[in-house]
Amino acid sequence: MSHPTEPALHPDQEPVRYLHAHFEDDRRFPWGKLWGYVGSLALTFAAFGAVAQHLWPPTALMTLILGLAVAQAGLQLGVFMHLRESRGPSWQIAGLALALFIAVGLVGMSIWVMLFKSGVS
Amino acid sequence: MQAALSYLLHTLFPPTVLRPTELGADVLILATGVIIVTVLTRQKKWGWLWREWLTTVDHKKIGVMYLIAAIAMLFRGGVDALMMRTNLALPSVHFINAEEYNEVFTTHGTIMIFFMAMPLIFALFNAIIPLMIGARDVAFPRLNAVSFWLFAFGALLFNISFVVGGSPNAGWTAYPPLTELAFNPGPGEDYYFMSLFISGIGTTITGINFLVTILRMRAPGMTLWRMPLFAWTALCTSALILFAFPPLTVALGTSLLDRLFGASFYTLGHGGMPMMYVNLFWLFGHPEVYIVVLPAFGIFSEVVATYARKPLFGYSAMVLSVIAIMVLSYGTWVHHFFTMGAGPGVNVFFGLSTMLIAIPTGVKIFNWIFTMWGGRIRLTVAMLYQLAFIPTFVVGGATGVLLATVPVDYQLHNTYFLVAHFHNTLIGGTVFGLLSGLYYWWPKMFGYKLDERQGQWAFWLFFLGFWITFGPQYLLGLQGMTRRLWTYPFGFGWHELNFISTVGAYIMGAGFLVLVYNVLWSMQHGERDLTGDPWDGRTLEWSLPSPAPEYNFARIPVVTARDAWWAMKAEGRANQVKRVRPEEVAALELPRNTGMPFFLGLGFFIMGFGLVFRWWWIGIAGIVVVLASMLWFGFDYDDKKHVHPDVIRRTEAALGRLEA
Repeated sequence: MSHPTEPALHPDQEPVRYLHAHFEDDRRFPWGKLWGYVGSLALTFAAFGAVAQHLWPPTALMTLILGLAVAQAGLQLGVFMHLRESRGPSWQIAGLALALFIAVGLVGMSIWVMLFKSGVS
Repeated sequence: MQAALSYLLHTLFPPTVLRPTELGADVLILATGVIIVTVLTRQKKWGWLWREWLTTVDHKKIGVMYLIAAIAMLFRGGVDALMMRTNLALPSVHFINAEEYNEVFTTHGTIMIFFMAMPLIFALFNAIIPLMIGARDVAFPRLNAVSFWLFAFGALLFNISFVVGGSPNAGWTAYPPLTELAFNPGPGEDYYFMSLFISGIGTTITGINFLVTILRMRAPGMTLWRMPLFAWTALCTSALILFAFPPLTVALGTSLLDRLFGASFYTLGHGGMPMMYVNLFWLFGHPEVYIVVLPAFGIFSEVVATYARKPLFGYSAMVLSVIAIMVLSYGTWVHHFFTMGAGPGVNVFFGLSTMLIAIPTGVKIFNWIFTMWGGRIRLTVAMLYQLAFIPTFVVGGATGVLLATVPVDYQLHNTYFLVAHFHNTLIGGTVFGLLSGLYYWWPKMFGYKLDERQGQWAFWLFFLGFWITFGPQYLLGLQGMTRRLWTYPFGFGWHELNFISTVGAYIMGAGFLVLVYNVLWSMQHGERDLTGDPWDGRTLEWSLPSPAPEYNFARIPVVTARDAWWAMKAEGRANQVKRVRPEEVAALELPRNTGMPFFLGLGFFIMGFGLVFRWWWIGIAGIVVVLASMLWFGFDYDDKKHVHPDVIRRTEAALGRLEA
């Protein structure tokens, strides 16, 4: 499945394959991206507002903004970060898995490291 | 008017920058600037400078610019080091005062890591990686130029702190609460956070750029498993950059928020958490030491195979150990702050993970030795650095394992033992590696060899100077001398060892001067490399003329084996690869030069300068320049130029590579 405005390929390039045939035509208005942008802003302001208004007790608030952050990360990856497009083997899925593993590892281990009781902080 | 002028003078030139050393630097900078401007104007070279260098997107030229900047920064960092060593040569020497000493060790560390080691690595990545994997350029040539200019303007912002406003003085790690605004007023720390923030964006982009270049732009037939080791280490380094720099960016950004806008991420009061900065900094900082040492491992793997005339011993073990180091390096960062007291569980975990990382490193050391085993070794300067690296780095690694033992670390933390340890790995590993790489690839970058005899002088001065400097520092550390100490009294018995150490530092300084002389002399009289393959190399870059033409490969080679060029030579196909028939030359698309990256960097510089002094309007003006450059970037569709086949034919014919 090739895109009409796609440039001619160099002989040693592989053709573009899409995990889902989802690629906006250049001439159409990028509604998907616009909604993605509005959605990101809404999630950000929701998190900020909840904290600024002291909506819930701190623990619940933390859980809420963590949830909103994860939702926004998923939204941005799907809408803006070309997660669903691929040329040849989909390297980005492997890379993303590694990133997720490292990020979760780092955050988890940081929490473990910083849960010390030496009265410094 | 009078008031404004006196405010400006007071802010830009407070008493701390009107000391003799700073005034001397002012005069030197001014004189150098005047000389450069005069020469450029006299020779009518401004247009040339702009067209050929400042707007270039050619990875080879960007590599050269990184190299020049890195050597200049090596000089600056080295002068800082000599100032420190002079002050410590004898008890109670007050060559510089305590405040200056704080500034000098801060700038020494920061410059050597961020503005010397990193750009020197990027110089070699840019100059060599695309040639080595058979590509015509990096994946994103314009972003590559953006990376360079963000680094260059970041470095400039950091360096002007010395003469405008005052230097940072809280160590290269800039821990709060020492960097909290209340305890450290003045622009120094703002300079630190701002300049690293700017150059850090550039570094992250470089990481992405080389990751994509290596994954996507290899010549046909060059599978990952056939890739030269230097390309492998560049790939792993890029991945490390991609995951390690975000924590630094967050740490720097939140510190800026603390200082500029009164936030309390790391303050002592208002629920701030200073140790969180330490945690974030070393989340970046530990992978960072592998970011600077992995490329050196790659260089040594190329150098040893070439000069021993043998394929690298245990290629797959080498690759796997690089990957293992990459993954493990994320799990060791707490060993930089065992003394925070996170508890035995945490400390034991990170102590063990640190010792674990010595295993893949040991595998690599043995493989280099086995590569030499039975080989016909040529003792070139590049090979000398390799031979010096192995024992030096082994000592650095062994003392690292000592320091990873938590109870021992509690004793040795922040002593000269630690200082000696990390210089042992950073100089013995990174600097020796990069110098080895420079001597090895210099003909490919510039078209002439560096003189071997002078190079040997520089090597011996540097190598012996290194051990004379840092050998005694282990003993000083064991005797309890702490790091960042600006002077010491007579009675401690530290003076003999300190004096020896200072002598060593000056020997290393002499080595640097010989190195610079070596480059300048060879520029005029060095042996020209007309073959393109002066060392009888093994990898694809040696199939090209020295220096490579703008488009690198007139025809992309097809790779059939590991050590691709060596295999081509062995199969008698060298001439087929080197020479191109006129009808094989096709029209090429190359990236077009652009001034945008320069203006983007300039915008960031103006923004940074404005924020450092809280002159918000200048800061906003800088942001406007940044946004304008990005808009320009986004809507400039005319970013490619077409090269006619005749141009390529003429170039190849002039190089004697066109079949009649």
